[in-house]
Amino acid sequence: MEIEFQLVHEAIAERVSPPPPGAHGAWLEFRGIVRSEEAGQKISALEYEAYPEMAKREIRRLLEEISSRHPCLAAKVIHRVGIIPVGETAIYVGLAASHRTEAIALLADFMDRLKLDVPIWKRRALPVEDKSRKNHVPLAPSVSPPGGERVAARSGEGKFPAKTSMVSLDEALAGIQSHCRLLPAVRAVFEECPGRVLRETICASEDFPDGDRSTRDGYAMLQRDESETFQVVDTLHAADWKPRELKTGETVRVATGASLPCDNLQVVMQEHIERTGDQIKILRRESATNVRRRGEEMRAGEAVLQPGVRLGAGALALLASVGCTRPLVGPRLHVCHFTTGDEIVSPDRKPRRGQIRDSNSILIRILLQKFSCDVEQARLPEDFELAKSAIRNRQSAIDNADVLLVSGGASVGDKDFTRPLLEWLGFEIVFSRVNLRPGAPLIFGIHGKSSVPANQPVGSLTPAGRIRVAFGLPGNPLSHFVCFHLFVAAALVRLTGGELPTFRRGTLVAKLEDGPNSRATLWPARLQAAGLQPLAWASSGDVTCLAETNALIHVPANSGPLAPGAEVDFLPITIE
Amino acid sequence: MRVLFFAQLKDATGCDSIELAPPVSWNTQQLWAELLQKFPGLAAHRANVRLSRNWEYAAADAQFSKEDEVALIPPVSGG
Repeated sequence: MEIEFQLVHEAIAERVSPPPPGAHGAWLEFRGIVRSEEAGQKISALEYEAYPEMAKREIRRLLEEISSRHPCLAAKVIHRVGIIPVGETAIYVGLAASHRTEAIALLADFMDRLKLDVPIWKRRALPVEDKSRKNHVPLAPSVSPPGGERVAARSGEGKFPAKTSMVSLDEALAGIQSHCRLLPAVRAVFEECPGRVLRETICASEDFPDGDRSTRDGYAMLQRDESETFQVVDTLHAADWKPRELKTGETVRVATGASLPCDNLQVVMQEHIERTGDQIKILRRESATNVRRRGEEMRAGEAVLQPGVRLGAGALALLASVGCTRPLVGPRLHVCHFTTGDEIVSPDRKPRRGQIRDSNSILIRILLQKFSCDVEQARLPEDFELAKSAIRNRQSAIDNADVLLVSGGASVGDKDFTRPLLEWLGFEIVFSRVNLRPGAPLIFGIHGKSSVPANQPVGSLTPAGRIRVAFGLPGNPLSHFVCFHLFVAAALVRLTGGELPTFRRGTLVAKLEDGPNSRATLWPARLQAAGLQPLAWASSGDVTCLAETNALIHVPANSGPLAPGAEVDFLPITIE
Repeated sequence: MRVLFFAQLKDATGCDSIELAPPVSWNTQQLWAELLQKFPGLAAHRANVRLSRNWEYAAADAQFSKEDEVALIPPVSGG
């Protein structure tokens, strides 16, 4: 039975080709369509997710099982995942059987079983009523919807309507993860690799070492050759390859790293030898053979690097040694970073009263280095109309960007225009406040047609409209630091591959002086051998603690001061 | 051992997967004990969740070892 199964992110084709003519007299096609209502609510789309490897196996298993009752000759199953608008196909099933009765019974059975066993889920329904909020209503009743703790908009406070939907830290991360899809991998030369994530398994091309090699300067002879004296029959340097069988009483002079002439040899260090002409005598016998055996380090075909590794000097050295000069890696991301705020001056200028030097640009630029990004940075005027025209002048940078970051302007003050700006650029705002300090007014948006399918082949992306995700970062440096490591880093990892930042458990070495706070806090800290030293910070504008911060402690809401010795979750941060 | 979470279990745990390190292997009870300790929020879902081991539904007496990919499968709703 020919079984074809695909999970796709894009629309399923109007016509799916049937199998070539054969024993089947019936080819039955079925399409499951997204209805306009879910649980009594009008919806605009459903979001599906799947466990791909297992779904594939389950579908095969089901078809084989059902086929014992109603013989199936061929099957094509295509399930779409991601956001599927109302009216579009969620599942396509095509089944071939000898006759129509078998095909119909087969389809009914298959669909019933699929709905019981195949790991695919309706994740959320996207409601239609309130277009301004774009909140997703989870289908699982046990979870409160993001935006449930919505902060009431205060009228007249801002020039722009304050559509502030507050989400928790976990909801924010889940939102980012569900909207950022893996971009297609590319092949890259070594120079382009640092910071990128490996997307294929690398196997050893041959045995390493490729034959027995000496680890000493000395003399090689047969193992367990008890001769009194040995005849030196040859001299081997590191690059020599001169195979020969050694007889009892024969030896070859070898350099460190030299390939030994045959198997089952040992090497005696030259320090333990007395040489007279072509004769040597062993002064001291060792138990060590001083030989690196063939394949001791890697066997030909053995997997030596797994996908997901972020490539650094060591990993690249390994790739070089197995001859993999163009590994398959995550794409280089294009990031467009705008800073806003008329109070910001360049770091090389002396700020007037009321102004501050721009520290965010260098912060973002350096933080992005780790992720191998092209970064384009620019200042935006603090006026919506002027900012729009400044952006029009940089249209090509925006068109090329995968990620758009806007620093400042994320609150709901008079001049805080990040949200309307992102909406003007065509982003849908997923959330605009996180119940977290520092960093509460964080905006996360996705471009309308931006969820790039994970299985999209390389080269099929059109250059226009490439922006996929956007963050409006609160202007303060400490907020920037926290939001980058928590949220932006998670998005970058989801787009390019690799390990998501994860919290670890640690112990406080000093008191964490916090009053009870209704928000969860990410507290700057110094991770030392003994544990975590909380650092002093007064407001999200603090920049003094940043130089030392190499960990962020998660202080849950309403937990108040924490005593030395308390166990906490923290996010480790690599200081470049 | 990699443990994957899907659908509403991502909301319950706040992540899509974790790494666990069983000493040798765990049976179903031991694995659940470990998971519930890490994510008490999973308790509400336990009755409806099936476990998979290496992309197949796991039998009740399954042993889960270090190299396994395990997934928590909440009630499915494909199609």
